[in-house]
Amino acid sequence: MDIGIIDYFANSGKSLLHRASPLYKIISTVFVLSSIVITNDLIVLLSIYLMLASLVILTRLPFLKIISIAAYPAIFAVLFAISSWNEDWIIPATIILKALCAALAMVILIVTTPYPSVFSSISPFLPRVILEGLYLTYRSLFILLELMGNLLRALRIRGGLSPKRYIKNISNFTSGIGLLLIRGFDLSERLYGVMQVRGYSGKIAEEEGKRKLGQEDIFPIAFGLFILSVSLGARLEDDFKLYGIYLLNLSIVFVCCSAYYVYFHNTTRGVFWKR
Amino acid sequence: MSHIHIPDGVLPIWLVVIGWIATAVILYLCIRRVRNVQLGRKIPLIGIVSAIMIVGMTLEIVPIAYHINMSVIAGIVLGPALGFISVFIVDLMIAMFGHGGFTVVGLNTLVVGTEAVIGFYLFHALLGLLSSSKTSAGLSAALATMLSLIISTSLMIGIVYVSQVNPQKILHVDKESFIGKVFSLGPHRENEKHEMQDKKIDIETFAKTVLFFGVFGWILEAVITGFVIRYVSRVRPDLILSEVT
Repeated sequence: MDIGIIDYFANSGKSLLHRASPLYKIISTVFVLSSIVITNDLIVLLSIYLMLASLVILTRLPFLKIISIAAYPAIFAVLFAISSWNEDWIIPATIILKALCAALAMVILIVTTPYPSVFSSISPFLPRVILEGLYLTYRSLFILLELMGNLLRALRIRGGLSPKRYIKNISNFTSGIGLLLIRGFDLSERLYGVMQVRGYSGKIAEEEGKRKLGQEDIFPIAFGLFILSVSLGARLEDDFKLYGIYLLNLSIVFVCCSAYYVYFHNTTRGVFWKR
Repeated sequence: MSHIHIPDGVLPIWLVVIGWIATAVILYLCIRRVRNVQLGRKIPLIGIVSAIMIVGMTLEIVPIAYHINMSVIAGIVLGPALGFISVFIVDLMIAMFGHGGFTVVGLNTLVVGTEAVIGFYLFHALLGLLSSSKTSAGLSAALATMLSLIISTSLMIGIVYVSQVNPQKILHVDKESFIGKVFSLGPHRENEKHEMQDKKIDIETFAKTVLFFGVFGWILEAVITGFVIRYVSRVRPDLILSEVT
């Protein structure tokens, strides 16, 4: 999983979802997650997944890359799905679709909202130690990923990772992780020193979050509410299942409309060309 | 394999809530325990260790659906209280990538946090027993990792058992819906449906699947942890044998 690219997507995007307030995007994600928890109908889940896919298209970010990032949890959900196999594919498919939908909802939030903004929005609910730990983990993550990349390159160049020498490879690789750990500690001490010099007194400044409902915030909130009402309808009203196929068709229309809108209203094309 | 990769909406709500409450209580106790420590210095350390855990967790070994947790390393380096806090931070952050359900963050923290806490105590107990050996730190860490993973995986299987996750019952998948009518390969008749619903969760199959794939992962993680701790103990022994919280 490329964490660096997720951060790049969150900070460089200019779509409607990128412009919306982090708080309302989080609320919308909570609505979508609640609907995934509520519903057990395969058609409804499939429709939610397609609607989320249409949101991915609207973000104007690389579609397949985001779908593949969000498909990662399916590898592990398959294990649980296998254990519930009962000559019937619907239940395993429902489990895997639940995992895919939840992951895609979270990934959409993360690729359209920088991590610090997410942390700021949830800060009232978390103790200070955890909040600061979240910020510093996020900060350290990118440095470590770079160190890891350099380490692997150095190991390959110096013959530390050779074919068919498994024990030696493991020994070299784990020594590399040990080195990474030690460099990480040194880094943390240096980071602490820098923070102290800059006036760190046990509190990291938070980004001022936008709290008022703006024009851009209406879309994610409306989307979340729509998904939640569909799930509630499917759960509470038995007759709703008769309309499942229409819901699926509607979600396919959503995907087509999003693709059409992004393709024919690509206002950023010229900007990319200039770069 | 101890990480719960069950998606949102499969485990019963009461279990998810209990998981969050238990995690909140333990976190409160951990924060109280570290209150007197110089936290300003420890927080960057939590950040680094958590980041290393996230890097480890995002490198999946696809054929056996396993990823290393490095939680025992976190426990050994940070100590039980800060190790548990670090595990919570990691679980919260990876849930944002969609790795494991968001609702199961509480339960995941309990399971992976158990690894960190038990790993710490086992490591120090084994280090005391094997102190004469040259490779005692590495060996102690490897054995501690193996035992902690066995315990945490058992805890995870126990959680699934307690939840009575019979997807048939929990999900209430309606076979009379459109998709059920058209595509279902399973039983349709009413008596068959009841028969299937009365069937208990196949915990045996689940446990066998998890343990079969898990054992390769445990060995791998124990070897990695052992080598890493051996290296750190040679280069910077103060990091693993200093005062921890």
